[in-house]
Amino acid sequence: MNFAAPLLLSLKLSSVTTLLLLVLGVPFAYWLVFTRFRWKFLVESVVALPLVLPPTVLGFYLLMIIGGNSFIGQWYESIFNKPLAFSFQGLVLGSFLYSLPFAVQPIQTAFSSVDKKLLEASWSLGRSNVYTFFRVILPLSRHGIITGCVLSFAHTLGEFGVILMIGGNIPGVTRVASVAIYDEVQSLNYGSANMYAAILLSFSFIILAAVYFINRRFVRTL
Amino acid sequence: MAFDIPRGKITALFGPSGAGKSSVLRLISGLEMAEDGFISNGNETWFDKAKGINLHPQQRSVGFVFQDYALFPHMTVERNVAYGIKEKWRIKEIKDLIDIAGLSGYERHYPAQLSGGQKQRVSLIRAIARKPDILLLDEPFSALDWQTRIQLQEDVKNIIKQFNVTTMYVTHDVSEVYKLANNVIVMESGKEVKRGTPEEVFLGKRLSTRVQVTGKVVGIEHDSIMASVTILHADQFFKTLIDTEELKSLNLRIGDDVVVGVKSSDVILFKI
Repeated sequence: MNFAAPLLLSLKLSSVTTLLLLVLGVPFAYWLVFTRFRWKFLVESVVALPLVLPPTVLGFYLLMIIGGNSFIGQWYESIFNKPLAFSFQGLVLGSFLYSLPFAVQPIQTAFSSVDKKLLEASWSLGRSNVYTFFRVILPLSRHGIITGCVLSFAHTLGEFGVILMIGGNIPGVTRVASVAIYDEVQSLNYGSANMYAAILLSFSFIILAAVYFINRRFVRTL
Repeated sequence: MAFDIPRGKITALFGPSGAGKSSVLRLISGLEMAEDGFISNGNETWFDKAKGINLHPQQRSVGFVFQDYALFPHMTVERNVAYGIKEKWRIKEIKDLIDIAGLSGYERHYPAQLSGGQKQRVSLIRAIARKPDILLLDEPFSALDWQTRIQLQEDVKNIIKQFNVTTMYVTHDVSEVYKLANNVIVMESGKEVKRGTPEEVFLGKRLSTRVQVTGKVVGIEHDSIMASVTILHADQFFKTLIDTEELKSLNLRIGDDVVVGVKSSDVILFKI
């Protein structure tokens, strides 16, 4: 068996998920901060659910929603000619939802901590909301965005329950490093389980240390 | 309340805090929406409740100077000043503006590297740079110490004069009104109570040849006929002599609050 394949798959899944979260999470966080939608608290609760929910619960419902017998699952299969569950794309969807609060919450906090006066200054200087976003809000929120990205990446890397539920354990397709550890232990291969575990541990530690280091530097320079 | 702001003049909105002065500026600039009424700039309607018109702040030609400067912390002085300028060819005017504000050499500095007075000057020229029809200043000097304030009041007056921009500014300092404004509107709890030139509004019948200050008695020394009383006013001590009989009748003790009246016929003035 290829030892590196699950690790590479984990990295690929984390990268794709993080990119997707960045592209969709930034406008979503902006909406959460500035909307006057009265049911916003419900949306926020749904986003935060993965923080408290057992991954198996999320995985189970996702499987119900995207599985071969579901409407979405059948619709996907009719268009792409392959099932969504037990595929890499399915894993991306699951990871996206599972890591959503890790990306959205730091970005949301950063957006809302930008001094309202600066936005008012920008508007009163004749600048649009879009210009204000790119020139004022985004640069002043960069630490939140970096934190969101790194946490999503690290969180996806360590994901296990959701993946096992909606992706199973298909080598080269859905068998990521965290699942591989479980698999190796089941086969009593403690040596290679230890290798995967040590690599994930070091990687997560390095990522978190980088986040704290970057945040400290940004606090100093602002 | 209803008022017109004369073009090219400086109008002060004066009143105690909580009188609604800042709200008036925020309504004019569109940062807040009025419940009723209308606001127009010449022939252009900015807000009209009856007609359902409410222009965004971006669409109103205003310059807003905030009390706490609201400079963009991640941009240099130069970039802050250029922020509202949309025409590329006008970029070279930035240097002139920075010169006028006495900030040459600080173009590449960030707001965190400037003093309060410098920050407020950047904020002022940033607002003027977009050539607004009306300049709004919300207690622009209140965050500064008095020396900086006096200097900056002078600078602001000159800069506004130079650009001949219609200005409305909020203050609760009478001397500031005198120093800067052509007209003043006095507000109390959301309503206009008086308007006119500073002289008309503040002097009226209150002009007096006596100066009165309040102070606290901190020392009394008795003599046979006269007593010497030491009084603390703000952070200044002074001594005054009064008749022992008068002192008795006043029943003055250390710690009492007193009013000291002086006839202003023989007063020495110093410029600070």
